[in-house]
Amino acid sequence: MEAQLWSALQAVLNGLLTGSLYALVGMGMALIFGVMRIVNFAHGAFMMLGMYATFVLFDSLGLNPYIGFIAAAAVLFVIGVASYQLLLRRVAERSDFMQILLTLGISLIISDGVQLWFGADYHQISIPLLDVNIHLGTHITLNAPWILSFAITIALAVGMFLFVMRSRFGRALRAIAQNRYAASLMGIDVRRTQALSFGLGLAAVGMAGGLLLPVFYLYPDVGGQFTLKSFVIVVLGGMGSIEGAAIAGVVLGVIESLTSLYWGNEWALVVDFALFLLVLSLRPSGLFGSQRV
Amino acid sequence: MTALLTLEHVSKRFGGLRAVNDVSFDVNEGEVLFIVGPNGAGKTTLFNLITGFLPPDEGILRFAGRVLTGTSPHVAARLGIGRTFQIVKPLRNQSVLENVMLGAFLHTRSVAEATARAREVLAFLQMEAVIDQPAHGLPLATLKRLEIARALATHPKLILLDEVVAGLPTGEALALADLLQRLPEWGVSAVAGVEHVMQVVMRVAHRVVVLDRGRLIAEGAPADVVRRPEVIEAYLGAKYKQVTG
Amino acid sequence: MTRRRAFLAAAGFGLCLLVPLGVDQDYQLNVLFRVALFAALGLAWNLVGGYAGQLSLGHAAFFGIGAYGLPLFHDKLGAPIPVALILGMVVAVAAAVVIGRVAFRLRGPYFALATIAFAEVLRLSAKNLHDVTGGDVGIQVPALFATDPSRWFYWSAVALTALAFAATALVARSRFGYALQAIREDEDTALACGIDAARTKLLALVISAALTALGGALYASLFLYIVPDPVLGIDISNEIAIVAMLGGAGTLIGPIVGSVLLETASELFKNVFQEAHLLIYGVLIVLVVLFLPEGIVGTVAGWWRRSRAR
Repeated sequence: MEAQLWSALQAVLNGLLTGSLYALVGMGMALIFGVMRIVNFAHGAFMMLGMYATFVLFDSLGLNPYIGFIAAAAVLFVIGVASYQLLLRRVAERSDFMQILLTLGISLIISDGVQLWFGADYHQISIPLLDVNIHLGTHITLNAPWILSFAITIALAVGMFLFVMRSRFGRALRAIAQNRYAASLMGIDVRRTQALSFGLGLAAVGMAGGLLLPVFYLYPDVGGQFTLKSFVIVVLGGMGSIEGAAIAGVVLGVIESLTSLYWGNEWALVVDFALFLLVLSLRPSGLFGSQRV
Repeated sequence: MTALLTLEHVSKRFGGLRAVNDVSFDVNEGEVLFIVGPNGAGKTTLFNLITGFLPPDEGILRFAGRVLTGTSPHVAARLGIGRTFQIVKPLRNQSVLENVMLGAFLHTRSVAEATARAREVLAFLQMEAVIDQPAHGLPLATLKRLEIARALATHPKLILLDEVVAGLPTGEALALADLLQRLPEWGVSAVAGVEHVMQVVMRVAHRVVVLDRGRLIAEGAPADVVRRPEVIEAYLGAKYKQVTG
Repeated sequence: MTRRRAFLAAAGFGLCLLVPLGVDQDYQLNVLFRVALFAALGLAWNLVGGYAGQLSLGHAAFFGIGAYGLPLFHDKLGAPIPVALILGMVVAVAAAVVIGRVAFRLRGPYFALATIAFAEVLRLSAKNLHDVTGGDVGIQVPALFATDPSRWFYWSAVALTALAFAATALVARSRFGYALQAIREDEDTALACGIDAARTKLLALVISAALTALGGALYASLFLYIVPDPVLGIDISNEIAIVAMLGGAGTLIGPIVGSVLLETASELFKNVFQEAHLLIYGVLIVLVVLFLPEGIVGTVAGWWRRSRAR
């Protein structure tokens, strides 16, 4: 009985650690989809780019991924602003159809491009930190890289939340989300703000990619599952709510971890999607948000 | 005269705002009733309540002896309530004829019959010239008529016209008013919501209901209603009082 | 559709049936099968995604149900093949009713996301329920045609395309078709005209699901063996939708044009560019969105209308 409790607690803690990275991926999507209303089916592909950017820096320059992820964020920010200005801007006012199709196309280009460049092989990096385990009492063991990325993620999430709530840019962003036309009348440069927030959303998902690198296999299709997962997170968290997405990401991590413990790893994703359908049909405003879908 | 539509103590709130507040009135068969009130008086909300687009918070609506409360919009249409939208909602990529055929399909499966019915209605509304044009790109006056045509094509017993004369030049508004006057020829009772085009109201309405901030403040014959002090005060404002006094 | 056009269409499909007389390589016939199959799937999708304007990205659910229905009902439960095909369609219809009830209450991207989630739940369940589906190990599918299969599969796919085409042509010019298009353009207007939008959309999805399931069964039987990812995965859903949108969503011949172009192009890309073929495919999609937003048929029809109006 006691052993079961310990393993449940271990699963919850593991879930919290994974969930923090989901939160970061989800916050990026909350900015892009929840606030800016751009249906981004390339989110996971961009995350994969963040992983590869961090990988390249590690592989060629020996840069530690816990520093490299910042560079990945910068790269993704630039890519985000550029792809908004070159491509997404042209469908921002068009139907969801077109946005979905365009971002699907972008996603194919990115993942196939990466596959051409790096090959389809799996990569895993090894750093000394990976061998460090922290024991809490006799029953709980936590892997150091996960704890480090958890701490970094919390700091980033709080920073991003404050930035969106407090800064001038954040205010412009929220004004556009409420009423694009009124915002433009108030002298807000809508296009520039949208480009920057797309960049910011990609920077967040790029950082998540960088932080995932030490603890995950790397291959060109690794992002696929994260695209859907990030939509799930945004809907669970409530559209337009960045803090909601952060909470939802963590909750999803815990749910997946507990599902794996009791039903097996292979059912974790099924539970994700079932939960998603349930929330969409019963409580379309999300579990933690107040805005209507 | 028998009442076709009856509203009893109908209310609707949006958050703290009472958009429609304890409103009761009847619409009789063969009647053209105008609901007069400034923007925000609750006219559109009232129409949405009658057509099932919104459920009322309180009160009962009856139509042709049936309780309407809780019906969905398409059922209201099938019972014989046609409506137009204040912000015109044409099917933009379809032609004028196809837009009106959509209404006519309520009572027939046959494309030929729907076409014939649509042409008849379009002729009545003097829209033959634009019959094959796509709805996008038509001027507002034509789109307002298109709204009426589509609603009329559903063979309604009652037609709700939301601001169909608003924003039209006076000549256009008066021409449309003459057509509205002839609606009873089609066996239709009409309820029209208007903001201020009093010339049209005086010319066409059998009866007038005045709404102010969700409340019904006056009801009666047009010539009678416009003389009442509370109406002048609430709706026409102090300026009108100065002129008459 | 006029009598003349119906005759032209019938003649066109007749000609397609003659193609195998001149082609006898299995490889070429299988490419042609794929073209015809995706034309049929695109047409089926078009009822929901094009005419009703509801962007489904979960048609793999119906495709996969059809694919698994054949072996499960025939081999496991002993139903004769025609009955197994029909049962597959029935299950797909039931699935369409369930997903429609949930998803049609949602608008815009949420509808698309809900359809994806539904298909993903089916795919993952098929992977996990080893006892029923064989999981990732897969399951053997009965052969529909014993002799000269490549030709017969091609002929069946053309027949399915003709069926989907005829269904679309009938729908497009009927009250039902007008109602679907009205819902796409403005759901409130449709409601005000007495159209039961929820029912109308559901009916479109049901027809679409039944046709898609039949396509799935054909596909599965050609390969004689299936695993969950290729028949229930999001790639199938995307391909079906992209075929229709490339050709022109909401147009009668759009999905056929889309399939001819996309399937032959991706076959060529596979041969010429090898590993880069998905990259080229992605570039193609981006170009279509930016320059031909109404699809090929929609855009050409637009030019035609404008030049005639002048």
